[in-house]
Amino acid sequence: MSQEQTTVQDNEGVAEAALALEYAIPPRQRFNPFKWARREPFGALGFALIVIVVFLAVAAPVLNTSPPNEFAVGPPLESPNADNWFGTTARGKDVWSRVLFGGRISLKIGIATVLIGTLGGTLIALLSAYAGGAIDFGVGRLADMLITIPGILLALVLHSSISADLPDLPGLQREELYLVIAISLFFMPGTYRIMRGVVLELREATYVEAAQVIGSSSFRIMWRHVAPNMFGLMIVITSISLPAAILTEASLSFLGLGVPIGGLDAVPSWGADLSGSSRRFFSVAPWLAVFPGLALAITVFGFNIFGDSLRDTLDPRLRGRI
Amino acid sequence: MTRYIVRRLVAVPFMLLGISFVLFMLLYIRPGSAAFAAIGSVGDADPRAFENFEKRFGLDRPWYEQYGDWLWSALQGSFGERLTPPHDDVMDDIIEVLPNTLEIGLLTIFLSAVFGISVGVLSAVRRNSILDYAFRGITIAGLSIPNFWLAILVIYLPALWWGWTPARQWVVFTDDPIYNLSLAIWPAMTLALASAASMARFVRTSMLEVLYSDYVRTARAKGLRDRRVIWGHVFRNSLIPVITLLGLQLGAVLGGVVIIESLFTVPGLGRLALEGVTDQDYTVVLATIMFFSFVFVIVTLIVDIMYTVVDPRIRY
Repeated sequence: MSQEQTTVQDNEGVAEAALALEYAIPPRQRFNPFKWARREPFGALGFALIVIVVFLAVAAPVLNTSPPNEFAVGPPLESPNADNWFGTTARGKDVWSRVLFGGRISLKIGIATVLIGTLGGTLIALLSAYAGGAIDFGVGRLADMLITIPGILLALVLHSSISADLPDLPGLQREELYLVIAISLFFMPGTYRIMRGVVLELREATYVEAAQVIGSSSFRIMWRHVAPNMFGLMIVITSISLPAAILTEASLSFLGLGVPIGGLDAVPSWGADLSGSSRRFFSVAPWLAVFPGLALAITVFGFNIFGDSLRDTLDPRLRGRI
Repeated sequence: MTRYIVRRLVAVPFMLLGISFVLFMLLYIRPGSAAFAAIGSVGDADPRAFENFEKRFGLDRPWYEQYGDWLWSALQGSFGERLTPPHDDVMDDIIEVLPNTLEIGLLTIFLSAVFGISVGVLSAVRRNSILDYAFRGITIAGLSIPNFWLAILVIYLPALWWGWTPARQWVVFTDDPIYNLSLAIWPAMTLALASAASMARFVRTSMLEVLYSDYVRTARAKGLRDRRVIWGHVFRNSLIPVITLLGLQLGAVLGGVVIIESLFTVPGLGRLALEGVTDQDYTVVLATIMFFSFVFVIVTLIVDIMYTVVDPRIRY
């Protein structure tokens, strides 16, 4: 009798242990970058490319460059050689220098717009989902409308409307501010849509309800249950938007709507260097056409494959979806 | 179903009304006045000329009168006079160039559907093969190449190597269809690279999701041929998200034509819009972008309705 009882109890104990094992929260694993790199070789390659691009842009002054706007650094329209690694322009500017310095504006505008676009979109989504009613409806319809205008065209309209009126901010010229506003506005409606859905979904989630039932404070619910689910998605959205933002900046600069291109305070930009007056020389000096575009493509490629792996790691549900 | 379509159709004019209002207000607050751009460029700085100009085009009136006027004439099929010479009705320009843009847009969507779907299906069916890895590398690279740079390479590199370059001129389709297509194929292929790449990635994921589902296993178990399983069961079911993407791609293509049309000198809606911005001619900017939005809204509507055709489970 007693033997039987112990067996039953043992069985229950085993079952309980098995159940506990199944539902136990696995111990937090420390993130091991080397393991990750072996699992996601493309992502590691992308990260390496990003590191190289950032390094080249930041360390440009010490990497065999001359001031990017200086004329007659070499003979005009010289093909790539030992002194001017990427050749020279019609005015004897060094293309290697312009490509390295050109990375700065791409990264600056790209990062600024994506941060503002993602954070802004998320914030608007949170506020409008909680406000509900007419505000939620109005913001939603405004997003619907903005989404129907292709990004470049919205930027064109904004260029006609606000560009000349903007102030120069410390560290951000008027034209740069225009780019930041135009491009981040382009990312906001999409982010808003995704995030609003997430907020509504999370508000009703069983585990949020459970947390409420066991008496968690609303701050704890926000921080431990809601935020982690939004944070991963925000990183994913950022990683998708960043290459798009860099491409948009280049496109706008290419159209002459970006940073100032003439004069000595001109900001070197990959998009601008592929447009305008230099285009006349592309047929005789193809290095003018190849290198800025190649730099742009490699940068975007790096961010794309890194973002792709990041997305798989952070949110497998989204694999290939966005 | 009918109710859903009617409801969506009713929403379209409200949507367009809202878009036109937002755009109008954005352009109305612009600081560089259209008069200054139009007259300043001619070199005449007489203040009375500005006044006359503003009076002639009604720019001196309050915004609600201007917007009301614009709306009223837009409803009657006129988008107002161009502020820059030759001061003709913008609608005439749009009607003239719209077919060219639609041609390039449709050609682009066609090319990206053909290449994107075949690459995506092959990638999914031969998952983790060399071919799959190669395709994945190529598609991500395709997404990363800026279309204007690709256009520059397409224009200048062949000239350098073989002394040949795609002709940068334009004839309309009805004048000489074959020559027209030989011109339109270049901008279309340039634009199609990126959208074909994202299409391929999307199709691959979508196919993989279906490939391991129970009904596909059943289809294989009952001895269906591979070809029939892939095309009859997997492909058809993976089409639904692909159709959404096809609709969204149009947005990217419409944005792309702005740059590509200028590079290949195609007289199209995108080039017209860009001209409007450079000339600060807000009637042109407003009208062209309204047309872009209109096309986008209609295509989205068609895509949503097509869902029900592809997937009978979806009923509105």
